[in-house]
Amino acid sequence: MFAFLVARRYLRSNPWQTALLIAGVALGVTAFVFITALIQGLAVRLTDDVTAKSAHVSLEPADRVARVLPGSDYDTESVALVSMLQRKQIRTWAATVALLESQAEVTAISPQITGSAVLVRGEAAAPVAVTASDPKNLDAISPVSREIIVGDARLNANGILIGVRLAETIGLSVGQPVLFRTDRGVDRLLVVEGIFRSGIQSLDERAAYVSLETARPLFLLPSGVTNIEIKLKDTGQARAFANFVSGATGLRATPWQDRNSSLADALTAQGQTGTLIQIFSLISVLIGIASALSLSANRRRSEIGIMRAFGVSRLFIASVFVMQGLLIGIVGASLGCLAGYGLCSWLATFTKPDGALALPIAPAEGGYALVFLLTTAGAVLASVIPARSAARLDALEAIQQ
Amino acid sequence: MTAVLDARGIVMTFRNGDEFTRVLLGVDVTLDPGELVALLGASGSGKSTLLSIVGLLLRPTAGIITIGGERVDTLSDTKSSLFRNKRLGFIFQFHNLLPDFTALENVSFPAAAAGGGITSAIRQRASELLARVGLSDRMNFPAARLSGGQKQRVAIARALMNHPELVLADEPTGSLDRASADQVLALMREINREDGTTFLICTHDEQVASRCTRRITLVDGQFDSGMRNKTN
Ligand SMILES: Nc1ncnc2c1ncn2[C@@H]1O[C@H](COP(=O)(O)OP(=O)(O)O)[C@@H](O)[C@H]1O
Ligand SMILES: [Mg+2]
Repeated sequence: MFAFLVARRYLRSNPWQTALLIAGVALGVTAFVFITALIQGLAVRLTDDVTAKSAHVSLEPADRVARVLPGSDYDTESVALVSMLQRKQIRTWAATVALLESQAEVTAISPQITGSAVLVRGEAAAPVAVTASDPKNLDAISPVSREIIVGDARLNANGILIGVRLAETIGLSVGQPVLFRTDRGVDRLLVVEGIFRSGIQSLDERAAYVSLETARPLFLLPSGVTNIEIKLKDTGQARAFANFVSGATGLRATPWQDRNSSLADALTAQGQTGTLIQIFSLISVLIGIASALSLSANRRRSEIGIMRAFGVSRLFIASVFVMQGLLIGIVGASLGCLAGYGLCSWLATFTKPDGALALPIAPAEGGYALVFLLTTAGAVLASVIPARSAARLDALEAIQQ
Repeated sequence: MTAVLDARGIVMTFRNGDEFTRVLLGVDVTLDPGELVALLGASGSGKSTLLSIVGLLLRPTAGIITIGGERVDTLSDTKSSLFRNKRLGFIFQFHNLLPDFTALENVSFPAAAAGGGITSAIRQRASELLARVGLSDRMNFPAARLSGGQKQRVAIARALMNHPELVLADEPTGSLDRASADQVLALMREINREDGTTFLICTHDEQVASRCTRRITLVDGQFDSGMRNKTN
């Protein structure tokens, strides 16, 4: 195509200006790739952080009555007591576990009793949220035993694990007994077996773990469980899996996303910020191309006039400029994608002492195809303005200058 | 015999806001095939304006133009562009060549841009034309590095590329030294004689005019009818 040859010749005749223009486009594309890879990496990290320490799907009895914490007021407590007596449980949990075990999607299952209690030691008392599971399932959902800083996580009968802040608040250390009073009004002396530090303040202040056998008499659940927590291979399948299980069992199944709506909001906000930066980097690329080609069209006015005089069509003139835009777009986007991938891969070699990336960047997720298409299409669009002005040039005026 | 060019009653008035510049006041020109005509006149007398009108680069305020028997003043923009490409040749005083292209590419350009690039037939014709203007050894030279006289010879070759019936030249020797100017004019005379191509050459150079087959002179927007000479 002759217009293409002319476009290439024009770009090559001004090698420095062309190189600068392409470098500018490549830089904008690199910025786009970087920000895309960073946003993706951040999203993956945030999601991983959340899903690593929580269940992906939680099963509870349907229409569970809201739990009411015992208050100091007598009336409130009695009302709470009535509602708690009606508390639902999963009696047929063994069958549900069997069903879950047959699902290839499932990687961990932990039937639990969860409830509220108060730890009393001398004058001090602190409310705790208790999770009771089979000791062999302790780490199934969240790696509790890895977070033990004093003692161990064997969970013997009458043993309890508490968070480090709770231990400090009421002055408990490993091996010491503590009075445990459940929301069922049952008291028992438990022994602190281990103290954990999860790094999450609310857990370190409020969470406690006991074994299922210990919990049964305390929560008046001789055979049932209150909930079953599930981990999946693919966290992205949680919602679909939750639908499947609730359909199959009649239990209420909640995917992890529904328990972390603030994470979803954060990811959305982050995504929007990223989109804004992407748009700005593209716009600056397009303005660069449009202005450079406009300057070139202006500088070549007399040449264009000569071409028009010997009968070169306006369409041909326009296509020469559009082709220049296309070439700049393709070359600039390719170089920018390469540079962006290189930059992200390089940044991904930096790790923190714990092995995590210093910058949570995902070099493979730079949106390369998207930015290539957008830049190329945008470059063509940006060149339409100079192409039109070149094509509309009055031949005589241009020659006579 | 059909006239190559027949322009009747050409009137050109430029308008700049409220200001009107009356340049041509009803000019008639007829060129027969094979003529080599000098268009003379003082600077500002309207030579370039008339040439542009005849070359379909400028629409006259009034007048009828026929080229090779075809009425052309009413052609659309696209059609007149095509007409210029196929039937007319242009040579200007300045900026004639495209500096980023070789001599051969410049000559090929009118044909290449209208069709699908520089085909072997186009290349063949362009190199023949360059040989004819004495530039066989400069075919692949960048146009920007040619001398003034060489540039005008390339421009002549390019004007002839699509076998035009009329070549319009505006001060083709105006920026050349005497020797180069003579060479360029001699070339146009030779092509005119051998191929019968009709030339209309704007000039204020008496030496150029004296070597044309006829001269017409613009005075006050009209032709000085007493100046016909078909003797040369
Ligand atoms: N676009 C235009 N607008 C207004 N006046 C013009 C324009 N083009 C030419 N003229 C005027 O027309 C007259 C003839 O110009 P031109 O044809 O270039 O003369 P020549 O070629 O004989 O020197 C001049 O007075 C010039 O100023
Ligand atoms: Mg002039």
